[in-house]
Amino acid sequence: MPLTGTRDLGAIADSAALVPNLETEEWELKGAQHLQLHYELGGERTGLLPPALHPSIPPTLLVNVTHVPESEAGAFTFATVRVGCRSGARPRGLLVRGYCDSPTAAAVLRERWGLPLEIADVRLDPSYARAATSVTLDGTTILAGELVDPQPITGADVQYMATLALARVARDGEETLLIQVDPDYTFERAQRGTARLTAFDAEAWSLPGATAAHPISASLTTVDMTLPRLRYLVHPEKSPMQAVERLPQPQPA
Amino acid sequence: MKFGIFFEISVPRPWGPETEYTVYQNCLEQARVADELGFDQAWAVEHHFLEEYSHCSAPEVFLTAIAMQTKQIRVGHGIVTCVPELNSPIRAAERAAVLDLVSGGRLEFGTGRSATWTELGGFGANPDETKKTWDEYVRVIPKMWTQERFGWQGRAFSMPERTIVPKPYQKPHPPMWVAVTSVGTEIDAAERGLGSLGLSFGGVGEQAHKIAGYRKRIQSCDPVGEFVNEQVNTVSFLYCHEDDEKGITTGQQLAGTFNYLSEQTLATRQAYPTPSYLSPGLLYQLRRESTGGPEGRVPEGLTIGDPHRVAQAVARWEEAGVDRINFLLNVAEMVPQEDVLASMRLFAKEVMPQFQEAKTAEPAEATAAGGA
Repeated sequence: MPLTGTRDLGAIADSAALVPNLETEEWELKGAQHLQLHYELGGERTGLLPPALHPSIPPTLLVNVTHVPESEAGAFTFATVRVGCRSGARPRGLLVRGYCDSPTAAAVLRERWGLPLEIADVRLDPSYARAATSVTLDGTTILAGELVDPQPITGADVQYMATLALARVARDGEETLLIQVDPDYTFERAQRGTARLTAFDAEAWSLPGATAAHPISASLTTVDMTLPRLRYLVHPEKSPMQAVERLPQPQPA
Repeated sequence: MKFGIFFEISVPRPWGPETEYTVYQNCLEQARVADELGFDQAWAVEHHFLEEYSHCSAPEVFLTAIAMQTKQIRVGHGIVTCVPELNSPIRAAERAAVLDLVSGGRLEFGTGRSATWTELGGFGANPDETKKTWDEYVRVIPKMWTQERFGWQGRAFSMPERTIVPKPYQKPHPPMWVAVTSVGTEIDAAERGLGSLGLSFGGVGEQAHKIAGYRKRIQSCDPVGEFVNEQVNTVSFLYCHEDDEKGITTGQQLAGTFNYLSEQTLATRQAYPTPSYLSPGLLYQLRRESTGGPEGRVPEGLTIGDPHRVAQAVARWEEAGVDRINFLLNVAEMVPQEDVLASMRLFAKEVMPQFQEAKTAEPAEATAAGGA
């Protein structure tokens, strides 16, 4: 049996988003710019994950920064750092803390998808030579990095991992759960380059001990992103084979 | 129809001091028994860093051990990863030649390029390049085997002229294959006159379409070697038991466990956006085809169950145009060794003769000149 995580996520759930209702409607975010810096994760393999998840072989660190130019919550940019892992046999990225530059958008993303977003200054600055990103919290840079030497690829070449977001769900009391967020993407443009992280404060992302050990790839896409209805939950303390809960879905007309 | 066995050598946790030793010894015993029972090929993969899923990182050593303890069974080096960071083409040719010599000319030489970032990234290989390096390897290795002096100025590698020794025992050289998982690789195989080493489990209908394309295209191929190796192998799990339900249940557990372990690795496509790995590859196909049967039914082509059911699955593969099925016999040691051997013996007694009799009634097949 593959390795499983050892982390008690309940101990850090206080700051997680409270999701009052799992009946979330879709939200389409048009023309988003999405940067991903993908690294192999250094350090201990199981300490960042709960018992419901396996570390992938090798475990990875996924930095994702999304700029949405317009939406019902206005323009906003949010950043996450996830741990690449497996829920049973499925590839997933565990998210326990992220940051957004818009309180309005952060509130929507927290309440409807459980994304554990705090407020910070989040930047994404693409140019022809690079796409730079930074996250600054209370004057301190907690993340800085870039994609360098972008080369055109197609959206068909890109594969994003679904997120498992640490959240508190109001359901028969309050439960600490992982909410699966698996957006649909329609790609307008895609580029691949080299990932370069110049600052990463693991504690600020609630990933103590995590290091970005070895760069794998970087991609920058322009996408129409649809945040989906919620379909699956993961119970973090259960074993991987028993952890996934499928939510009831509306029947097609 | 012929039958072989296929080793991934999966080693389950927890890993004690004897675990890997025991798994290897069990595999060697399975190869001995396969040789006695009339299985005609034993293949071993090359994988690196794929913990639990496959601990078969030095297949040439393992296959040499098989060759030294058997008499008839051919040894399939499948596949040699044709990526410079993993294998020099010179060393691959040398090792294969030695294996062919010490086995008395029993080598089958499989080629491929790896599908995981776990492996490619571990060796610092560029996923964009692997298809190109594979193509160069399959063109130069037969020349290394057949030309007394060989030199090369290429893209993946270059070398001044040297005499590469030893030469293989089989003349002009061992049969060559390519692992077929990605869409279109069967055509790559056909265009180069290579055998198609199918590595997706089940999915007979889809495979039949690929095989038809392969058979058609290979008729006008430009072979990279000295002869055309028109053969199609596929892979399936084997668990044959007198009790059909027991055979099905255990076989499906094998398939499910295999899938589960393989999915823990990081597919290249998941980590590194590249047009070089458009197909979801073996792992996705495996999940879909080996565990995706209609509710309550065995997925088509899975050779599990009682001898009658297994024979039906084999017949379906035969209809699809497959020449040989290589069987995965165990996964993560979940089936006790004595049960694995019993499954092999039951298959050899009840199923294998049905297809050997059918074969003797047919005209001689025109395959593998210079091979077996």
